[in-house]
Amino acid sequence: MPAILTVDDSRAVRTIIGKQVKELGFDLLEAEDGVQGLEQLAQAQVDLVLLDVTMPNMDGPTMLQKMREGGNQTPVIMLTSESKRSIVAGAMKQGISDYILKPFKPEELRQKVLSVLQGESGADAVVQSEGSAKPSATEPASGPTPAGGKFVDIVLVDDMENVHKKFRSLLPGHVSLNAFTSAQAALGACRERVYRVVVVDTEIPDVNSAVLAQQIRVLQPHAAMVGLVLRTANDVTKEIREQGFDDVLFKPFRSEVVDDFLLRYFDNQDFLQVEDNILKVAPFSGKADKVERFYGRIHGVFPEALEKVAAACYDEVVLDLGTPPLEGDRLPKLVLAVSEKSKELGMSLALVGPPDVSKILGGYTETKDLKVYGNVQEARAGMAA
Amino acid sequence: MSTDKLASELEGILVKRIQSDQLFLPSLPAVVVKVMEVLRDPDAGMKEVASLLERDPVMAARTLRIASSAAFAGGSKRITLQEALARLGTKALKGLLVEASTQKLFVSRNVQINDQLKVLWEHSVAVGLLARDVLALTGQGDSESAYLAGLLHDVGKPVVASVLLELERQLTEVYQKGWIDSGDWLRVVRSVHRKVGVALGEKWQLPAPIVACIKDSGEYDKSERHSLSNAVCFSNALAKKTGIYAGEVDAEDNDAIIMIGRSVIGISDDILRTLTKGLRERMVGLYD
Repeated sequence: MPAILTVDDSRAVRTIIGKQVKELGFDLLEAEDGVQGLEQLAQAQVDLVLLDVTMPNMDGPTMLQKMREGGNQTPVIMLTSESKRSIVAGAMKQGISDYILKPFKPEELRQKVLSVLQGESGADAVVQSEGSAKPSATEPASGPTPAGGKFVDIVLVDDMENVHKKFRSLLPGHVSLNAFTSAQAALGACRERVYRVVVVDTEIPDVNSAVLAQQIRVLQPHAAMVGLVLRTANDVTKEIREQGFDDVLFKPFRSEVVDDFLLRYFDNQDFLQVEDNILKVAPFSGKADKVERFYGRIHGVFPEALEKVAAACYDEVVLDLGTPPLEGDRLPKLVLAVSEKSKELGMSLALVGPPDVSKILGGYTETKDLKVYGNVQEARAGMAA
Repeated sequence: MSTDKLASELEGILVKRIQSDQLFLPSLPAVVVKVMEVLRDPDAGMKEVASLLERDPVMAARTLRIASSAAFAGGSKRITLQEALARLGTKALKGLLVEASTQKLFVSRNVQINDQLKVLWEHSVAVGLLARDVLALTGQGDSESAYLAGLLHDVGKPVVASVLLELERQLTEVYQKGWIDSGDWLRVVRSVHRKVGVALGEKWQLPAPIVACIKDSGEYDKSERHSLSNAVCFSNALAKKTGIYAGEVDAEDNDAIIMIGRSVIGISDDILRTLTKGLRERMVGLYD
């Protein structure tokens, strides 16, 4: 069993350290000053020395010097209330593995003792220099990496899994989401991935959400930080912003509120996706009063999408309408506009959609002659024929 | 006259000018002074601030750019300057104005020192980022102010550099010597810049904790572990360790500062790794 020698003129300090060392499962040796410390080292095998600086008879730096001069290379952690850098720099010349300032937290002592005994201590093992390709000695133990790729749209931190489920149900399928119930897990994920939007519940038990948001902001400097708060009669928006959040989202979630949220942060991505020469209209999920906006957004983005397809030298373009809202004449107007733009760019257009779409388009002179295929494969085959 | 003597003479002249209050210190740009005055009024609206800021197109553009980023809930919508200012808020706006004013100090028409100033500015930005992130990641202290404190900790250096340039010209007319060696130049700058920086900080009416960081960020304050000066002290050493610095570094002394700082502030291996990973990439785009 590893043995740790604590050298400190304060019995109280030796007692505190002794308790923590024993909790770690190590044997403990004690000394009141440097003289006793050297005697202990001469008599017993010690794996680590916790060394104070200011002591009678022989101080810490002197004991350290004598250890090294005598060929003793036992690792030493300086554990002291002394913070003058000249003293620590001098000790570093003799070789210390780490440093702890009194008063200290048990966790710091534990981490540094274990780190030294495992041979992983020191800033050199951790600091990544600019221009140096050397990786760090160990990877951070931040928990399991969530499944999926590196770039994820949204991370949600809320202690209730039901909130995760509800939020996911309101997002379109192509918007990716990672959800965590604990701050620790969320921070771990934020170290590994890049998120566009971070949503943090402002009432997580035992967590200061403002601090968590600050911590995540360091890891995700380009993400928008959104505070998730329970909807009440009071307007807490200003208060949430003052905590450091950029925006507020209320729960229980309402679909139109989530729609607005998506519009704000994901802009065009909701409505039209482009893959090769296929323009796929995203499903519409919202109330009837949002249909105008839905078609408006597609009108806004399809010209650029068609230009991209044309720039890739495709002769044909496929517009996969999915299951769009069929009320009014918005669908025929959209199809007509896409058809005209495609012609302008020198491409022929094929439409994909369910029978309802074909029926609607058939009712308008301008679009009745356009063929609507059942799926993309049929559309491609039809155009090739 | 040897360059050592020349360097000593320059240092002596600077110290005398500081002590007799005869050192010319740059002022904040006029538009910034006016905006700061308006912001002192708690009832001041951003409309008035926007109209003032529009007089400085560079400052206005910078404000718009930062406020339009995703971090300020901008998405891809275009916003007006007034909307941008409302999003930033008073505190962030003040910080941005001081930052922009400070950056102007780190530019010189003199080719010889402009490169040095560029490296000094990069170091200042790195220290600002690290100081902010140190406090943010440990969840303690005022991380927003830490950015400004870190950015300004060496603000005296460019001021000293421009004064040295002028003094050196005057002296070489007498002594017929060329520009002093860059090593000596840096030595003089390092020995005097803190006094000059404090004087500048007081002239710009910067908050006292920030002026304290300019005055001394060499030893840690054990009584207030998460103070701005501790964050800046640690970050300064860390920036040097990662190579974002011009001039000589006493490696052992620097490592001692980092080692002590990790315990004083409470910086775990995970936090340290996060702080330094991709630091230069995070600096890109923060200044033009």
